[in-house]
Amino acid sequence: MAENSKQYKILLVDDDADILALISTWLKNEDFTVITSSSGEEAIAQVDIVQPDLVITDLFMGGMDGMQLLSEIHQDNPLLPVIMLSGQAQIPDAVRATHLGSAAFLTKPVKKEELIEQARKALRISGDNAVKENVDRRIIYRSKEMAQLVELAKLVAENDVTVFISGATGTGKEVFARVIHDASRRKDHPFIAVNCGAIPEQLLESELFGHEKGAFTGANTRHEGLFQAASGGTIFLDEIGDMPLSLQVKLLRVLQDLQVRPVGSTKSYPIDVRIISATHRNLEEAVKKGEFREDLYYRLKVVPIAIPDLAHRRDDIPVLIEHLLAESAKRTGQKKKRFSPDAMDHLVAASWPGNIRQLMNVVDLCVTLCKTSTIPASLAKTAMQDKPGPMQTLKEAKQAFERNYLISVLRVTSGHVANAAKIAGRNRTEFYKLLNQHNIDPTQFRTGKSPRASDEDN
Amino acid sequence: MSDEKIIITVDSDLEDLIPGFLENRTTDCEKLRAAHADGDLTSIQSIGHNLKGLGGGYGFEKMSELGASIESAAKSGDTGVIPGLINELADYLQHIDVKFE
Repeated sequence: MAENSKQYKILLVDDDADILALISTWLKNEDFTVITSSSGEEAIAQVDIVQPDLVITDLFMGGMDGMQLLSEIHQDNPLLPVIMLSGQAQIPDAVRATHLGSAAFLTKPVKKEELIEQARKALRISGDNAVKENVDRRIIYRSKEMAQLVELAKLVAENDVTVFISGATGTGKEVFARVIHDASRRKDHPFIAVNCGAIPEQLLESELFGHEKGAFTGANTRHEGLFQAASGGTIFLDEIGDMPLSLQVKLLRVLQDLQVRPVGSTKSYPIDVRIISATHRNLEEAVKKGEFREDLYYRLKVVPIAIPDLAHRRDDIPVLIEHLLAESAKRTGQKKKRFSPDAMDHLVAASWPGNIRQLMNVVDLCVTLCKTSTIPASLAKTAMQDKPGPMQTLKEAKQAFERNYLISVLRVTSGHVANAAKIAGRNRTEFYKLLNQHNIDPTQFRTGKSPRASDEDN
Repeated sequence: MSDEKIIITVDSDLEDLIPGFLENRTTDCEKLRAAHADGDLTSIQSIGHNLKGLGGGYGFEKMSELGASIESAAKSGDTGVIPGLINELADYLQHIDVKFE
């Protein structure tokens, strides 16, 4: 029980030192991290600094009271749960606190078991355990921005609402979609991801909605579309912003009627699918330009989740790196490596245009190339700068191909030049000329030797 | 007044807190007497309210009951019963014998 609590920070607010001491002791014994404030004003300042997961506050305090504190907190942190304690069991207070978004209203003297139970409930440690653990295990974060998104993901996972995920390439949109699916009641049914931008228009319609036999040339059999294949589960429409307008209207109809009509069919079939869509494009702009249907946009965007760029949540970089290093160690069976403090500083400060995907590549590259347990800053910098080499000219490409071809033929013939020349369709003299041009010695192949690997790559 | 001890069993987690907690309640008794002498019902009500909220949490149910009675008496202006309740609280505090488990 306690192992779940450790990561949670609770801000406790009361102007009575004995109450603070008592409740702190209870919570600490349950392994929660507790921060105390003796006034509402102090608590407001603390919220931004300590970023608590839960606030427990007394209602009646000198200065700012619990009700004001609750309102202030929820202005900037609408998802932060607040438990209110009151010496008086006044129904109007309890109603008002609930209306303002209080997670629970407890009357003093509060019982330890009751307080702990309510704290766990507010933190979603109890009750919705499966949802909580599923989401938390899969999304690695520490930042306030991501904490709010994760909280939102947990809420939407439990409901069947349509979710729209926006974010730049590599921010983890599909991971978020999968996490929502896996934490939902649909988790035992399929999760089907479709990249709407990668499939040609004609094919996309048939892929999504299916087709009847003979619906078009080449449709030799009836094909069940992905909407039907995802029955009971979730369909993830990635890069929805790239969906052609002609298909957008058909998708809108599916969302409105919850039915699909396969290509070439006169019959519609009901579907039971949760739709999560995503794009890296600015869909509002696309709507303005007439490239995306406004009605579809609002149908899809019931719950919007905007994943920030990695550069906008630098707090997450160290924990993501830790996670990636641990995963790598698990995968390879080797001891976990670590970045030197300088290397870590460099990684945290980097711009990360490729977001988490780029971070994963850099960590992988560093782990692979580093022969010691600590990855130095120099290697991290080199890995960050890893760019594809300049394109070859046609002449260079032809040369490289010719050289590789000659090597292959000599390998096959074990360095027998006459046979190699025959395969290549050249006479021996011409073949020798080519070997000379590429500085290849056929005798190397006769002894089972082959040219140096670096030569082969040239 | 009897000399008999009142055994109160308290969670051992709170062992470090209890001495300071009881000392503060003795101070509360003094404050209550001073407030009563001054006719300061607001302070009496406030201290009673705190005692009510605190006592039960630490395991002193009787303290919460007395705090509620003091608060209620001050609120309704029933000043006649207040000295008796303060004495009862002081007597309770003197006879407490805390056992931790």
